Order: sequence, then C-alpha cells, then structure tokens
Amino acid sequence: MNTTIYPFTAIVGQDDMKLALILNIINPSLGGVLIKGEKGTAKSTAVRALADLLPPMEVFSSCRFHCDPNSMVNLCADCIDRKNSNQKADSKFAKMRVVELPISATEDRVVGTLDIEHAIKEGEKRFEPGILADANRNILYVDEINLLDDHVVDVLLDAAAMGVSTVEREGVSYSHPAKFVLVGTMNPEEGDIRPQLVDRFALSVTVKGEHAPEQRVEVIKRRLAYEQNQAEFASNYAEKQQQLAEQINKARKLLPQIELPDDLLLLTAKLSIALEVDGHRADITVIKTAMTMAAFQGRAFVNTDDIKQAARMALPHRMRRRPFEDGVLDWNKIETVFDEHQL
Amino acid sequence: MRRMVFPFAAVVGQEQVKQALLIAAVNPKAGGLLLNGVKGAAKSTLVRGLANLLEGISIVELPLNATEDMVFGSIDIQKAIKQGVKSVAPGILAKADNNILYIDEINLLRREIVSGILNAASTGTNIVEREGISCCQNSRFIMIGSMNPEEGSLPPQLLDRFGMVVNVVGEQDIALRAQIIRRFLAYEIDPAGFNRQFQAETLCLQQQLAAAKQRLPYVELSEAMVELTVQQCCKAQSAGHRAELFLVEAAKAIAALAERLFVSPDDVAAAAKLVLPHRIEQQRMADSPSVQPSEPKENEPAGEQDDGNQNQRQCHTEHHGYSELEQTQFHENEQNQQDGNHNSSAAEHTADIGMPLTIGKLDFNTRDRIARQGTGKRSLTRTDMKLGRYVRVENRPDSFTDLALDATLRAAAPYQRSRPRGNCALTIYRQDWRKKIREKHIGTTFLFVVDASGSMGARQRMKAVKGTVLALLQDAYQKRDKVGLIAFRRDQAELLLPVTRSVDLAQKCLKHMPTGGKTPLAAGLTMTLEVIQALKRRDKDGQPVVVLVTDGRANSSRNQSDAVNAAFEVASKLGTAGVHSLIIDTEHEFIKLGIAEKIAQKLGGAYCKIEELSTQSIIRIVNNLR
Repeated sequence: MNTTIYPFTAIVGQDDMKLALILNIINPSLGGVLIKGEKGTAKSTAVRALADLLPPMEVFSSCRFHCDPNSMVNLCADCIDRKNSNQKADSKFAKMRVVELPISATEDRVVGTLDIEHAIKEGEKRFEPGILADANRNILYVDEINLLDDHVVDVLLDAAAMGVSTVEREGVSYSHPAKFVLVGTMNPEEGDIRPQLVDRFALSVTVKGEHAPEQRVEVIKRRLAYEQNQAEFASNYAEKQQQLAEQINKARKLLPQIELPDDLLLLTAKLSIALEVDGHRADITVIKTAMTMAAFQGRAFVNTDDIKQAARMALPHRMRRRPFEDGVLDWNKIETVFDEHQL
Repeated sequence: MRRMVFPFAAVVGQEQVKQALLIAAVNPKAGGLLLNGVKGAAKSTLVRGLANLLEGISIVELPLNATEDMVFGSIDIQKAIKQGVKSVAPGILAKADNNILYIDEINLLRREIVSGILNAASTGTNIVEREGISCCQNSRFIMIGSMNPEEGSLPPQLLDRFGMVVNVVGEQDIALRAQIIRRFLAYEIDPAGFNRQFQAETLCLQQQLAAAKQRLPYVELSEAMVELTVQQCCKAQSAGHRAELFLVEAAKAIAALAERLFVSPDDVAAAAKLVLPHRIEQQRMADSPSVQPSEPKENEPAGEQDDGNQNQRQCHTEHHGYSELEQTQFHENEQNQQDGNHNSSAAEHTADIGMPLTIGKLDFNTRDRIARQGTGKRSLTRTDMKLGRYVRVENRPDSFTDLALDATLRAAAPYQRSRPRGNCALTIYRQDWRKKIREKHIGTTFLFVVDASGSMGARQRMKAVKGTVLALLQDAYQKRDKVGLIAFRRDQAELLLPVTRSVDLAQKCLKHMPTGGKTPLAAGLTMTLEVIQALKRRDKDGQPVVVLVTDGRANSSRNQSDAVNAAFEVASKLGTAGVHSLIIDTEHEFIKLGIAEKIAQKLGGAYCKIEELSTQSIIRIVNNLR
C-alpha cells in the first residue's frame, strides 16, 4: 500500500508536542517523550509523521542492529569484531526509523527468541532478534503505552535503562545494543502508567484538542484536503518540511558545541531540590533538553529561558504523587527559584 | 572486552552504597547486598562500575525476561543433536559461580526464580533436575539486587536472605548535584576519555580491594567484639542467627578495607547500619501484627525521608495508608452532616471520604495471582491465552498450539542418533511436543455496588462506606486491578464508572457520589448482573468480585415487601451465576431487619458488618474471594 504520511508541518497547533519530538530527533540520547492526551489529538499522527524528518545515519551494512561504525561504545558483538579486525567493513547510510511496538506484542517478539527455522534445519541455536533490535538507534513508538502488559513493560524498562537488551530465554543467551528514543502515547482516562516506566521518559507533554474555532476549522480543512489527494497535499508542504529538516540538521551539528554556564547547573540543581524530585535523572534531563533547545534555535549557549522551557517538559511527570492524586508541577515554586537566581 | 561503564570512582556522593558494595565484594560471606531506593540515584551505575574494580570477577546480570531453564541450566541441545551426548548447558547461576550476580529490579522478578536463586546463594550449589538432566553445580556468588519500592516490595523471607540493605536517596547538596550533571555529560560525550580521567582513582580502588581481600582471612575478631555484635542484634530483636553472622563478616570486611587486622567497635557499628535495619522492622511487625505502623510513602516530602528510621522502614513494607498527620487531617475535615431523614429524597449531599483504613500487610502469595490455563481445555479462548509470560512447559503430545520450541528440541535432542533423518537436522516425534505454560498477572475486576440512598447518608455512614471502598481501591491501585462503580438511589441504579483500569477515576467518582432518596436494591443488583454478564462475555476466564455495600433496607416507589422480594430474586440469580461477592452490611438501626444478611446468603457471598470490619480483615476477605 502506498500512502503518503501526513506531513509533520501540516499539524495545526500542538506546539509542545511537536517541539518535544523534534528535540528528541536532534538529540536521540535525550530519552524520549511521553505524550498524554485525549483521543483524536493528533498524537499518533505526529509520531508517524516524524519519519519524514528523520536524518540519515551511518550503519554497518551487515549488522542486524544497525551499529554505528564511528562509535566505540554500544556496538554488538559482531561489530566489535568488525572494528577490531581493522578491515574496512561496509557501511552505508540508512534513514532513522519509527519502529512500532503494538500493545499485543508478546515478550519473545519484543526481545527476540530462538530462531525456529535455523534450529530445525541445522540443529543449532541461533538468536532471532526482536523489536528491540530493530529499535536500536531508532525511535521506538508505543501507542497506548499504559495498556502494555506488565511483563513487556519490565523488559522495556531493562533495555531503556541500559541501552542494552540482554536475552536469556528459550535456550538462547544473547546481549545486544538497544538504545532507542522511546515515544509513548497514552490517554490517561484509560488507566495509569507505572511510575518506573514514566521515569524512563525524558519529557512529557499533555495535548489537548484545539479550542479556538478557527483552529478547529483549519484542522478539518487540512485533513479533508489530505484525504482527497495525499500526494498533492504533501507537495504543498514540501518546502516547509525541507526547512524543518534543515533546521534539525543544523541543530544536530551545533549540539556538541553548546556552551553551558556553571550557574545554570546550580540553578537546575536548586530546581530539583525545591520540587523534591526523585534521583538525578531530572537534573540531567533538564540540562540536556535546554542544550538541545538552544541548538534548535541556532544559539551556541544555553540561557535561563531554555532551562525554564526544559523544566516545563522534563519535570511534570517526575513530581512525586500519592495514589489518587495528580502529580502537579507547582509553577510558582519554579518561578521563585528563577527569581532568586536572577538576584 | 569489558563494557564501557561509568567509573565507580566518578560517582559523586552515595558513600554508604559505595561502602556496602566494597564490603560485599571483599567478603562474600557478608551475604550480598540489596539497594533499595528511588529511581535515578546511581544504583545500577555503581554496581556496574564495581565490575571494573575487580580482577578476575565479572558481573553476571539476570534480565527480567529470563526463563527458568536459562537461570538454572538445562540440556545442551546442540551437543545432544550433533553428538548424541546428554550434557548440561550451564545456566546463569553456573555462570555466576565465583562471580557477582546482579539482578536489577529484583522486586519485579518472579518469586519462584528469586527464591530458587536465593537458595542457591545460601547453599552455594545449584541442583538441576530437569529434562532428563540431573546434576549439581557449584554456584557460589555474591548477590546484588536493586529495586525501586514504588513498584512493590520484596517479601520479608526473601529480604532476610540479603546480608545488607542500603536505602539510596538522591544527593541534596546543590553544588554536588551540579557536579553530578557535569560528570554525566562529560561521560556521555567521551566515555573513553572520561574513564582515563579517573584512571588513577580507579587503580587506587582496585588495589585497595585486592589488598583487603588478601587481608580478610587474617582479620581477628576479639571476644569483646563478638559480644558487642550479639548485643547489637539482641537490641534489634532480629530473628534467627543470620543477622549475627552477616554482621560479623561485614565488620571484618570493613576492617580489612581500612587496612587493619582487627575489628574495632566502630566497624561493628558501621556494619550494623547495613545489616540490621531491614531486620528490626520485620521483628516488630511479626510481634504485633495488630499494630500497623503507619508507613511513610515514598512520595512523602524529602525532608521526612532524612529520618533514618522512616527510611529503613520503606524498604520492605507496603506503602499504603496515610501518615498519622494526614489521619488527623481527615478527622478535622469531618463535616457535621445533618441526620438525613430516612426516606427523604430531597436531602441530597455528598459525603466526604472517610478515613481510609490502613490496610494490613498482604500475604505475598496472593500477590502473584496467576491465571493458569487448565490442562485439556481446547476452546477458542486458547488464542487469547497465548498472551502472557512463557514460564514453563508441559508435555502435550496431543496439542500443537503454542509450541515451546526450545523445550521440544531439548526433548527430542537425545534421541536424534537413533531416529531416521529426513531433510532436517533433527526428527521430532509427537511425544517430544512441549506446550508453553504462560502466566499472566490478571488484575481482578472489582465491581463496587454502593447503596447511595438517604438512609445511607445518615450519621456519616456514607463516610465510613467511602473510607472502606477507598481502602479497597488503594489495594487495587497497587495491584493494577480493574474497578467499576454502581450506585443505586432514588428509583434507579446508575453505572457511575464503567469497568476501567483507572483507579484514579474510581476515586473521583466515589468522592462526588451524591446520596439521598430511596433504596432500589433490586435495580442495583439487576445492573450488577448485567455488567457482570457483559464482562463474562468479553473475558470468560475473568473472575469479577462484587462488593455490595448496603443496609439492605430496600424500598422503592412500590411497597416495601415487594422491593425486598425483588431484591432477593435478583440476588439468587447472581448467586447462581457464580459471582464472588462480599456484602458489607451498614444497617445501624435499632431494630435490625437483617435483609443484607439474607441477600448475602442468596448471593453465596461473604458477609460482614461495617462496624466489625477491622483494618486488615477486609483485604483478607477480598483476597480469599478471588
């Protein structure tokens, strides 16, 4: 089936969600985004539309896990051999992908399992990679992540934490890199998501349907135009898409040079203490998000606004919450910390 | 090649965790270590960093997806097929021999596996008796586990096996926090360079560890120190003698690490901090099960967590109930509700949620409620049953669905030499077929059917009811059960909340549930029946539990006896449908009609009076129901 995906730039509004997704493309080490929202708020459309904007990356041609030939870490066993043998292994450019994890997926499909065909034909054990292998260096997208089976969540947690998937099942013992950008969408009305899993997301955004009538009309108009003639609709946005892709590319190049003043590190630490967040993942995420934000705007240094913006996306889901209470981000506390900082 | 990891020496703060890890590494007899604490506090980072400090010892990780055969070992298929030799393919436990076994998120690992591993750890041997293989392997390893208590705790009997437990909290100093971010970013940009930067410190630690290991056998333990140890353990009222043994060994390791050849009182004191805390609480709970300490939850403000005692409690207790402070607040919030007229439909108000009962510690066996597919059930539901975690196999020559290929191959492997060979490398006969047994945590579905009539609004009865339901909801929240809420009042029953996984929503519904009006008990029960039938249609194996809260004083626009009889009739129908139920009787009137009790009989459900409901019993009753 040959369908053109809905262009990312044609999505009306939902700026937070779009920004969060773009930041994750610029800096895949950020750690993903959780999109919460009612049904029909373009959550899935936006994630799927990312495919168009994703940059190409260099991979070993024969690697099942698309290892990075330029990296020294996060390589699979075969690629370590390839590197050590010093012979010029074939590499090619492949596009970063959105890999979907359906909620009905079984554990063996997620982490991989014994290669049945090989076992029967050759009588040998061989590992058949699963979705996590596909997801290495790509985007792993889980729609309705709150409905995912507990045991599948467990293996996701394992992999997301270490960037490595270790498989010990059905006679095979295997370990391979699984560093992915985890993108999840959920409708909070349908149930909660486990706290441990929430923490694995760098950012969280809440989407709401557009309320202004003009905006709503625009949403419908575009959707209808898209359905009428997908190719033509997409071509109308080709230029915009191109611009955004270029901006992302520039930001990726700029990212390693972003400067980070020491006082902003202190500010971030103060924020986390004031808000009583658990652990240190919050601090690190705020800083990395702020740096990526600066890169996206083509700035070579981080400023206070970046930190504020980053806090807005990186902290809400890390607020401690009691059962039956919403974790609320107290914006006043944040403002106070910022005010004190400026003095 | 070693995996590139964040160097141990570069971790800022977390001194107690570092100390405990070094002790565990120096002296395996100290009984291993459990790191219990909030997410993102460098737990795993430190454990993985430890591997690089040890010469000749590696860290074997046990992933959560591990199947039993991989953990304990099983027949080597490849050898069996190619050479016709029956031999053991070593499992993770065999690989962990003389090494460190690390289990991240140990609280999420299946209990059977955890206890099997702990057994092997304490005996130092792993006995394999499966698939025609019978052997005994050495498995002496240092066990390190880490967990986040938010996701559930470890049962005390497993906790007790760990020599040391450390509660990990994030750094609170601003400058240190900033330093943590700096180091992390530096590591991410250039892991190799970052490791080089800390090479000197790493080397220093390596030498310290190696020297301590050599020194350990020569560390002397004076009589006085033994007495001190015993005193400490007695003071902590720890059960059994594990505590003393672990404490002594840990103290020795501390002395060895400090380059001393004798154990000092300070060593004992330091070791006690690691060995005793998780045993103190256990004892207290065992002694006085009726007194439930109000547990601080992990989402308590950080200031309170600094209190050592509270912190220690967190590691192994369920986090439910409200702190004392909150309980007083609940009392203060009590509204002066006017006594509603018995049947007045005009008086309508929303009762507060009463003080939730502190739920007692739950039996952990009921925690892992496992739905096992019965053998020989060949029905359409089987396709659904392919979901879930593959845990074990069974020999099923008659069934070819959900084949456990690995087990089938293992079963067929030994006979390959004697069997005729076709195009494939091996020949599989029917008797080799193994079927997967899968387990899935299925949350129970709770259907709360609450009488919201005027009579219930009287004398704050509704508040007590809401409190009771909330207690059950909190339990449901932790087990990710599904809940639904039906309220009946005036002339009708209303499905306030269709069955959902969101316990949050149920709580909100409950909070805003108005009371007032007549008691259409029959209508309430009829709706219950409808909802349950719909549920059963969707999920044949699901066992919904009905919790009916009423005073039984059924009435409706028609006359009273009619209403009661109608209720009885529906109750009988529900009873024959085989629904598990709990009836909470709220009848308070002087002259008791006892209708609720009769309803309970018709339903075949458990019955109790609300005033008799003690804190733990309600959960126990409900657990027994499912």
